Amino acid sequence: MTAPRTVLAAAGLAVAFLALPVVGLLQRAPWTGLGSLLDRPAVADALMLSLLVSVVAAAVILVLGTPLAWVLARVDIPGRRLVRALVVLPMVLPPVVGGTALLFALGRRGLVGQWLDAWFGLTLPFTTAGAVVAATFVALPFYVVAVEGALRSGDDHLEQMAGTLGARPLTVLRRITLPRLLPAMGAGLALAWARALGEFGATITFAGNLPGRTQTLPLATFLALETDPEAALALSLVMLAVSLAVLVPLRDRWLPSR
Amino acid sequence: MTGRPSRLLLAMALTVASTGGCSSDDEQLTVFAASSLADVLPDLAGAHRQAGGPDVVEVLGGSNHLAAQLRDGAPADAFVTADAALLAGLTTVGPPIPVASNYMVVAVPADNPGGVTGPPDLTRDDLRLAVCAAGVPCGDATTARFGDLPADTEEPSVRAVLSRLVLGEADLGVVYATDLAAKVKVIAPWTQESVCPCVVYAVVALSDRGVGFVEFLASPAAQAILADHGFSTP
Repeated sequence: MTAPRTVLAAAGLAVAFLALPVVGLLQRAPWTGLGSLLDRPAVADALMLSLLVSVVAAAVILVLGTPLAWVLARVDIPGRRLVRALVVLPMVLPPVVGGTALLFALGRRGLVGQWLDAWFGLTLPFTTAGAVVAATFVALPFYVVAVEGALRSGDDHLEQMAGTLGARPLTVLRRITLPRLLPAMGAGLALAWARALGEFGATITFAGNLPGRTQTLPLATFLALETDPEAALALSLVMLAVSLAVLVPLRDRWLPSR
Repeated sequence: MTGRPSRLLLAMALTVASTGGCSSDDEQLTVFAASSLADVLPDLAGAHRQAGGPDVVEVLGGSNHLAAQLRDGAPADAFVTADAALLAGLTTVGPPIPVASNYMVVAVPADNPGGVTGPPDLTRDDLRLAVCAAGVPCGDATTARFGDLPADTEEPSVRAVLSRLVLGEADLGVVYATDLAAKVKVIAPWTQESVCPCVVYAVVALSDRGVGFVEFLASPAAQAILADHGFSTP
């Protein structure tokens, strides 16, 4: 179909708005010295740590988020609206506030954190596990919202039919619901992973900043920006390249292009 | 149908363009200042107003971060930096003037949960140590005074180190002597004398309007306020 010119113009404006900062980054990038900038051990450390933290966070999100999305979409639990509001809260909360809230909950003197420390000697702030917690907190809603939306928009007559034919609920879930849900799960997971990779505010507030332990790429970029802008630009390019390298193939595979 | 929305878009674009630039009020003076001045700056601003100067809008942050913003064209009338070297590349009105100095000390939460008693505790494995990141003035000053420390977190500003101590996430941290004087929730685990290398704060005007504030900071009235807050003379 042909689109009205005004719609096309607005869409073009949106694309330009999104593309402009990337172009700005690329034209300021220190292309000639890039090799030596990226060759520093600190860059490799931050990159490896970012990949580790975001992949572990994505795994946790898959394991915890899938049942949550299914329950929100299909089970009539009391206070469902409240639970749903809680689930999307980290999406609207400034990440720094989220990180502070995590400190009060899971920090060394936090509500639950003080018992983790007393009973198991386990403290999350200043550890890689803490960085995973921060990334999971901000990224989980992106997955849950995507998967819950797919569950609610797809009709459930196949599931009901299987039920009437005698299939147990868990069999229905495993044989019918999950296979049909895979594209939405992939798309949601890609989004959540990307959000975890770019996580900054909650991480620096909750997990702190130490190279090799909690200093992910966004943190390294922020600190480099203050002392060494060229290195910050190089780090930004790494972020951009990693994100594109993962999101572009995923888009073809999981986000239906037509 | 096609005409109106595009005119609307144009109007929106023009509105954004006309309000997007510098909007500094004539009645106000924007002062960028190192975050270690957070406690003293309101007092200085009050005295500045009483002396007939304009209201001060305070923008606090790590000196590096502020300098980077200024290099990128952030509108400010004066800049109080914890490191005069950061002024390179900035267009200033007149030379920078040193106004105060400060030094690094070890601080612990008021209840001293780690039982910190002396300098050897700085390298104890079982304690959690928070310091400023290298490259930030407080981080460079920390390394200059205490050498490389096995920190558990390298924070982007001295305020962040203080909050780690106040919240009890860190057992000890390296902060400014003035932070120790100002904060009721952190204490010095042992007596630490004023030892240089010190951090020297310099103020510089970034606009003609900022010159008055620079002169004010060098005045006896402002120097007395700085001394009250534990700052030494430069």
